[in-house]
Amino acid sequence: MSESFRQATGRKVISRASAEELGRVSHFVVDAERRHITALVLGRGRKARLVDWEFLSGFGPDAVMVADDAALRGPDDDRERLAVDGKLDLLDKRALTEGGNEVGAVSDVTFDPQTGSIESLLVGEGAVPGSALLGSGSYAVVLDASPSEQPS
Amino acid sequence: MKLLMTASQINGLPVVTVRGGEDIAEVRDVIYDPEAGRLVGLTLNKRGFLSGRRREVLPAESIHAIGRDAVMIVDEDSLVLPNDAPDEVARPATDRNVIGNDVLTERGVSLGTVRDLALVVGGTGEVVGYQIDKSDGGRAYIPLPAQLAVSGAALVVPELTEDFVRDDLVGLGAAVDDFRARLGL
Repeated sequence: MSESFRQATGRKVISRASAEELGRVSHFVVDAERRHITALVLGRGRKARLVDWEFLSGFGPDAVMVADDAALRGPDDDRERLAVDGKLDLLDKRALTEGGNEVGAVSDVTFDPQTGSIESLLVGEGAVPGSALLGSGSYAVVLDASPSEQPS
Repeated sequence: MKLLMTASQINGLPVVTVRGGEDIAEVRDVIYDPEAGRLVGLTLNKRGFLSGRRREVLPAESIHAIGRDAVMIVDEDSLVLPNDAPDEVARPATDRNVIGNDVLTERGVSLGTVRDLALVVGGTGEVVGYQIDKSDGGRAYIPLPAQLAVSGAALVVPELTEDFVRDDLVGLGAAVDDFRARLGL
């Protein structure tokens, strides 16, 4: 069963050790080149914390499980500070093809909750496979040129 | 069928990195070599409201693609300081600016004056035509041969060009290949 960013935003993050709620998923940090979620952001603003994907013990339909609150950390670099503020979110970002044409906005992203790998992006009316993802940043998500854009 | 844009449509486009997804600059102007019939590079402005000129230029070889909505580059290293850029990009010959030049056919008929360049979208910017101001006040598009004689005041096009004057970019895009085929190029 795949999950989506829209469905999973707001999901509780629970410590296995204490059964306490550590926060709720606010943003996803994505490595576009690897097409993989690298971390989740919990909470917003100055209290926002990151948890790296490898520290998750389960991404379930009702809660995201981590070992304990030691897995939470602050942003390490400028890029992570942008991510914590939601500036690097794929959701609602303009999608450009590598040919420089806008093809709509990213309305949702599906991923495998077992591995964290990006399965597909919903852009405008259609879906593109995760393998089409070339890059992402604060301005745009960049996708492989669609077949209709290839020179004939 | 080629998809075309004018140089003035390219001016102001964001320059976006493919891997980074960041808009690191915007197009200030196109640098064009009229004799070779191609874009040689782009000059740049900073992004944002307080945008000033950026010193770096973007050589055509480093352009990943020019599209309707953005100029794509691989990463910020594609931008180079003028000293590190090819001469034609860093110091374009000012007497080769074709804008405002009279377009004369080989039999001595003026089609109008050059208003703008028409470039192929999707690649690295082959210039395949001009937008012209006609002497009757209207505007039109003409296709270009691959090579062209340019003096700085006028340019000479084949007589055949008179049959290929088009009203819009779509018409020009459809006409270019046919025009060049008729010239035997």
